Amino acid sequence: MTISAQKAAQQGRRTSLARGRSRTAYLLLTPFILVFLAMLVVPLVYSGYLSMFKRTLVGGETFVGLQNIISVFTDQRFLEGVGRMTVFFVVQVPIMLGLALFIALALDSGRVRAARASRLAVFIPYAVPGVVATLMWGYLYGPDFSPIAQAFKAVGLTPPDLLSSNLILASMMNIVTWEFVGYNMIIMFAALRTIPLESLEAAQIDGAGQIRTALSIKIPAIRQAIMLTLIFSVIGTFQLFNEPSLLSKIAPNVIGTSYTPNLYAYSLAFVNQDPNYAAAVAFVLGALIMTVSYVVQLRGRRKVSA
Amino acid sequence: MSFFSTETARKSKSLSDVRRRKRTSKLTTVLVWACAAYFLLPLLWLAISSTKSNSDLFSTFGFAFGNEFALFDNIASVFTFQDGVFLRWVGNTVLYAGTSALIATALATAAGYAFAKYDFGGKAAIFAVVLGSIMIPLTALALPTYLMFSGMGLTNTPWAVILPSVVSPFGVFLMRVYATDSVPDQVIEAARIDGSSELSIFFRFGVPLMAPGMVTVFLFALVATWNNYFLPLIMLSDSALYPLTVGLAQWQSMSAAGGGSQALFSTVITGSFISIVPLIVVFLYLQKFWQSGLAAGSVKE
Amino acid sequence: MSTRTNKPIRAIAALTAVGALTLAACSSDPDTENSSPEPVTSPAVDDAAIAEAMSTPTTIDFWTWVPDIQNEVDLFEAEYPDITVNVQNVGQGGEHYTKVRTALEAGDGGPDVMQMEYQYVSSFVLTNSLLNLKEYGADGVQDQFVPWVWSQVSDDAHVWAIPQDSGPVGTLYREDIFAEAGLDGSPETWAEFASAAQQVKEETGSYITNFASNEPGAFLSLLWQAGASPFSFDGSETLGISLNNDRSKEVVAYWQDLVQNDLVGVDPDFTDTWYQGLANGTYASWQTAAWGPLFLQGTAADTSGLWRAAPLPQWDASAPSAGNWGGSSTAVLANTDAPIAASEFAKWLNTNAESTEMFANEQFLFPTRTEILESPEFTSDELEFYGGQRVNEVFAEISATVDSDFQWLPIADYVFGSFNETIGAAIAERGDLLAGLDEWQADVVEYATAQGFTVVES
Repeated sequence: MTISAQKAAQQGRRTSLARGRSRTAYLLLTPFILVFLAMLVVPLVYSGYLSMFKRTLVGGETFVGLQNIISVFTDQRFLEGVGRMTVFFVVQVPIMLGLALFIALALDSGRVRAARASRLAVFIPYAVPGVVATLMWGYLYGPDFSPIAQAFKAVGLTPPDLLSSNLILASMMNIVTWEFVGYNMIIMFAALRTIPLESLEAAQIDGAGQIRTALSIKIPAIRQAIMLTLIFSVIGTFQLFNEPSLLSKIAPNVIGTSYTPNLYAYSLAFVNQDPNYAAAVAFVLGALIMTVSYVVQLRGRRKVSA
Repeated sequence: MSFFSTETARKSKSLSDVRRRKRTSKLTTVLVWACAAYFLLPLLWLAISSTKSNSDLFSTFGFAFGNEFALFDNIASVFTFQDGVFLRWVGNTVLYAGTSALIATALATAAGYAFAKYDFGGKAAIFAVVLGSIMIPLTALALPTYLMFSGMGLTNTPWAVILPSVVSPFGVFLMRVYATDSVPDQVIEAARIDGSSELSIFFRFGVPLMAPGMVTVFLFALVATWNNYFLPLIMLSDSALYPLTVGLAQWQSMSAAGGGSQALFSTVITGSFISIVPLIVVFLYLQKFWQSGLAAGSVKE
Repeated sequence: MSTRTNKPIRAIAALTAVGALTLAACSSDPDTENSSPEPVTSPAVDDAAIAEAMSTPTTIDFWTWVPDIQNEVDLFEAEYPDITVNVQNVGQGGEHYTKVRTALEAGDGGPDVMQMEYQYVSSFVLTNSLLNLKEYGADGVQDQFVPWVWSQVSDDAHVWAIPQDSGPVGTLYREDIFAEAGLDGSPETWAEFASAAQQVKEETGSYITNFASNEPGAFLSLLWQAGASPFSFDGSETLGISLNNDRSKEVVAYWQDLVQNDLVGVDPDFTDTWYQGLANGTYASWQTAAWGPLFLQGTAADTSGLWRAAPLPQWDASAPSAGNWGGSSTAVLANTDAPIAASEFAKWLNTNAESTEMFANEQFLFPTRTEILESPEFTSDELEFYGGQRVNEVFAEISATVDSDFQWLPIADYVFGSFNETIGAAIAERGDLLAGLDEWQADVVEYATAQGFTVVES
């Protein structure tokens, strides 16, 4: 049967069919939408609701409206945490994504020996749980006997205290970079693989070298993939928890209970026993992350269209 | 918007590989392998350290073997400490990650297919909401979810970890792109003319054609739950329900707590090493699937 | 691709709209956060009720981190075959209490009986979460315990827990390093300790000790020893907080000198660096609790025979005193379904001769029962690691000098957490400890006030 015949046959039954088909579509969608509402939307709303109460150890619970949310915006500890994460984002994310992009481009250029093995080597940390990665790096950062310290001592230098207040943020950036370069690299690499050979060949005929091809053809072509990794990085950075939480056990004076906003929300809920204010912090943090992601997207677009 | 079929992508890849292989560059190779070393060395350290006793751990060079080869002692202590709870943690991790990844994949496949292959009222709006929700910070949601669950008596059950992990908006997005690409409209039309119901078309033609995409979504959902720490940390109180991440962190903190505790470093290190092996194996084993799945999804937004 | 560019923007707009709508619709959500159970007003139980309860099949959930406590539980179950005790380890330190509170909040899934460190008792009293064991015959066992320990778990009208082990603080020191520095044994006064610190540093390069920057428990034990009682709690709403009282300022000023002159280490304790420091002689002594000797023996095995135990240096050598660090008790939760069986279990576990001997001599928990503390089997134990010294005897004598008046605040988590960020941070940076002490005071007072307590600073 030809396609036009199909279309004709279809035409007659369109209305009843369309109804049946959208019923099927809804049927297929419903399970996802249900858990989506239950696990994403309801908790979001619930945290907003909880944040409208204040509970103290003495005196119990009272309704305070938006007061908690408002005080989050002037909460020194919260703002310091956000500030720290902003520094983290500005410094670490470009390094991580730059490294990922470089490796992806290098592998895609076909100029690397044992490319497949090196690709897997770079990707493997992604399969390592953040908890394990942090425990491991925690040992590697030890000021006395870790391989890093041993290497410094071997050449007669004083090893830096990677867990001191000056360096802890950088140490954390290193852990996150180690964990996620591979993941971002794979997304970019996969995108590079779908660039049609013809456009690359055209560039080659024009006499463009590898670097120029990368800059003028490949990077623009995978702009969307890069944007995706950037958005994931915004989300990942601002809700950082595992790394500071576990490192605080070996650097307890450097990483306080409000080192990151998420750590703050956690200790508010479980140490200070103030789930209402914790909900307010979580709510504001969520809104903040969405705003930053949105701004990042907007700027990314503007850059492209300019 | 231009879609490249996965077919083209794969073909151009193999063509270019053949051509490209001829001219490797020393500089690029060295740079990339230097990066690879950065990613591998810590893991090498972990592997070597898991063969050391507690005292060798702190007295011998990090990348050399210790005075005694204690790997088997360490493995034994990992699996026997606290009545062998580690094995339970492995089981729990497999259960939580496997179950939620399966459900997440099923939900994302059905929803992605619906978005790709049907027109229905509110489609654009619903998809926009789902896509936008990728930006919701899940960790920040874990706290309200916990408070909600504790009101419902769901905390300290496997469901408390599984339920929040089955929502994967990114999975839906990926499956929509993948379904658009890999399930030709002609196949669906032909099946309709043969009198197949819509649902049976989905199961008989849609699902098999979307399989590589499903593997991708499954793997990434699996990793997300396998590696999750925050959610099980706040949801679970019974150590018999812990997944590996929370259990290992607890062992580590036992070494760092006051009275009545013990130094467990070699046990923690060996346990950590054991815990990362399964995922690495799964990734290596299934790499063909997830890489092609990602290739289809990553460019098209 | 460019046609799609504004999609995520719309997505966010749509999402926010959904959020706002449901937010408005949801304001009638019933309050599920109602927590603290009613105060218990059980009648006093008689022997018949106990006999009946102990022969009725019952399961008790017991949350504890004590290694091998199953051994004592087995003894109990052998004696009371109808009672099953389900032992669970949910974590150690703050995590343990967080989990219990979480369960209390959720209304179920919590334990009947829990391991309880002394400094946490009042925080559970505040929320009416503990069973008053006085109504279940706990008075009857009071005589068996060291008075200062008993005062940690009780007041005139209540007994909140049964003591299990304690941690009177003394000194463990490296005899060889001290000898190399020209010292004859551990200094008897803090003044001597300060000059000894100088000697040790000059002669051996070691620090005389490590003044841990993350250990409020150890720090407070030093205040406790000095009689600088910083806390009081009236059982309901009034807290006395004076972390920076004159006496504690003297103690802090003393350590300030040692810290500033680089005569003591300032590493966080129980970290790998610190373990290493104990094992390789970086620290020549450790001011630690009675559970410390065995712990050290397990982690610095290579230095066996080199260590000795002694009391803490004294402020006033004619009136020796000590503080306590650590140790714990057994408490029963008020919402238990089996108050009699749970109370009996808590009492039995910590008073039964066989059980308490096993704690003391096999698990090396430092005893709180006078009988064990004085028993020859316990005191005459000679430890090779300490050159054959009778270490238990040393600590049993220290235990007799611990002051009974020390109280805790019902916000122990916060007090302990705040330490790290205030005075602890000052210690770590070898900065101004007195300023750090003031910060700690101010931070705790601020929190307590915000939580609705009436705070008395003095």
